[in-house]
Amino acid sequence: MRRLPVYLLLDTSGSMNGEPIQALNNALSGMIANLRSDPLAMETLWISIITFDKEVKEVLPLTDLPSYNLREITCPKSGPTHTGQALEFVYGKVKQEIRKGTDTQKGDWRPLLFIFTDGNPNDLYLYQEMIPQVKSLNFASIVGCAAGRLSNDEFLKELCDVVVHLDVADSTTLKSFFKWVSETIEHGNKSMGTTDTIDLPPPPDEIHFVI
Amino acid sequence: MKKSRINDIIAAHISIPNGSVNKPYQAVVDFEKWNMGDVIFSEWKGLADIGLTYNSERKTIEGNPTVSGDHKIQLHFCLEGEPIHVKILNLIINPDPRSLWKDLPSDVNDPYAKPDDATAYALMGDRKLVVSSKRGRSHKNAGTFRDDDFAFYNFDEKGWSLIAVADGAGSSAFSRKGAEIACNATIEYFKQYFAENKEKEIEDAAPDAITAIAKKHMYQAVKYVYGQIKEEAEQHAAANPALFNHKNKTVLEYYHTTLIFALLKRFDFGYLMMTFGVGDCPIVLLKEDEVKLLNRLDVGEFGGGTRFLTQAAIFHSKEIPMESRFNVSIEQDFSYLFLMTDGIYDPKFEVENNLQHLAHWKDFMEDLHGNNEAKAEVDFSQPLNEVAQSLSGWMDFWSPGNHDDRTLAIIY
Repeated sequence: MRRLPVYLLLDTSGSMNGEPIQALNNALSGMIANLRSDPLAMETLWISIITFDKEVKEVLPLTDLPSYNLREITCPKSGPTHTGQALEFVYGKVKQEIRKGTDTQKGDWRPLLFIFTDGNPNDLYLYQEMIPQVKSLNFASIVGCAAGRLSNDEFLKELCDVVVHLDVADSTTLKSFFKWVSETIEHGNKSMGTTDTIDLPPPPDEIHFVI
Repeated sequence: MKKSRINDIIAAHISIPNGSVNKPYQAVVDFEKWNMGDVIFSEWKGLADIGLTYNSERKTIEGNPTVSGDHKIQLHFCLEGEPIHVKILNLIINPDPRSLWKDLPSDVNDPYAKPDDATAYALMGDRKLVVSSKRGRSHKNAGTFRDDDFAFYNFDEKGWSLIAVADGAGSSAFSRKGAEIACNATIEYFKQYFAENKEKEIEDAAPDAITAIAKKHMYQAVKYVYGQIKEEAEQHAAANPALFNHKNKTVLEYYHTTLIFALLKRFDFGYLMMTFGVGDCPIVLLKEDEVKLLNRLDVGEFGGGTRFLTQAAIFHSKEIPMESRFNVSIEQDFSYLFLMTDGIYDPKFEVENNLQHLAHWKDFMEDLHGNNEAKAEVDFSQPLNEVAQSLSGWMDFWSPGNHDDRTLAIIY
């Protein structure tokens, strides 16, 4: 069976501590509940969740939606944002996990990558080094989401096909962001040219398209 | 001491595997592993409401879940010398995916509306044709259109038969129209072609010259079809610019479609078969003890990645020369000729490579003959209309994860 692998890279650096991380957890579980009622997602969607702060953690290895059973995501009180390290990690995972079509196995749908951050990479050198590598994985789309005033869209623009900006990382905004993510995921398993990027659904009012 | 121990037990995160409605469920309860070895009494509550029970012999939660949702189940427990306390555990029961699929009709008033399902049959020279095309579950669920299409024509007085099948790209807004034009324009082109007796050049050619001439003729047809789709795209875009607002997309990309066609005629020396293909739909000739793929398939390393007729690049690709997309062969005889979209072979053959293996075709024929879950049978000895009807019924087979449109044409 063809899988639609979706990688979520979530910023859990110190600035997310408190209300933002709670909002993130709520929005994430809301999104999963939403997807559970979509038969297409139930049959094809596989999700991987990777968090990054000063370290990178695979909080949910690539898992099919019916088995998804994630406990709360937590974050440290303070600390840097190692976005580059996260990219390096996800690069390795995608290389290892994605099934390409061969004579004996069905290829996955092209994977999607979402990266959510409320800050700027503290490991900028590694971040920039990883950009071409991550791009070479041929994701159907790399979607960046910058939340709050502190994060600078410019960094994400270098990496992503689409960048959206959230003014605040509160519950309502994150909820509507993740609803949009789930709509985007629902667009993911369709036939398309070998290198085209997918069309994304129109975003809700709370989020602004940067590119 | 006891109090904090009890609080620890209540707060500890324990994850129980998710279940699904109507799917046998079993989860092992292991107090040692859960770090609750000191519990001396326990009782589960809330399981019966969702169709589950606790099996104290096997130490498992088991049964056939009946209610989907994010359930809170209660574990009543006590430690030695303590009253009973309650720990809440989350148990996710997924809905039965089959029950989630909706069947919403497509919009009949859309300018590009097309019937959700289409089935047809015809005599094709000394052979018969049955063909059926059905809207996939993913489109039924969203109330969107079938993107697959087909068309055929029998040039009786000439002895030639033509069938075309196309699969519009799921990611392109008007691909259903692209697929429809691809098929219909192929027919149109050859109507004109035979009206002008152009086939004479092939029929009168020396045997070793046939292939080159036939390929040249098919190339003209494909060029015509491409032009027809382009014309429609440009006209529609000029009249409705708001529908074509994607900044990085040409208007033709909104009509992305694959195309396969087969043109055949019986001669004294056997059947002359001319085929063309762009995209991932196969044309397969099945003989008594041989299977032959009559076109090259464009399949990418990722699912759904293919090439389209609507990509001008296919006409001058160095990697895959246009010439290699045409095939001319002479066959003494054959049992069946199949044209299909990936909605059929994805579930039935899993990978494209299996389309070339006789063993898989034997299984496929048995499946067609009724060896399947739904006991749906296509009996080719029946009258043509009944064969077509039963083919349409057979195509409703259930296959998890495969929800694409399905089109299957069989010449027999």
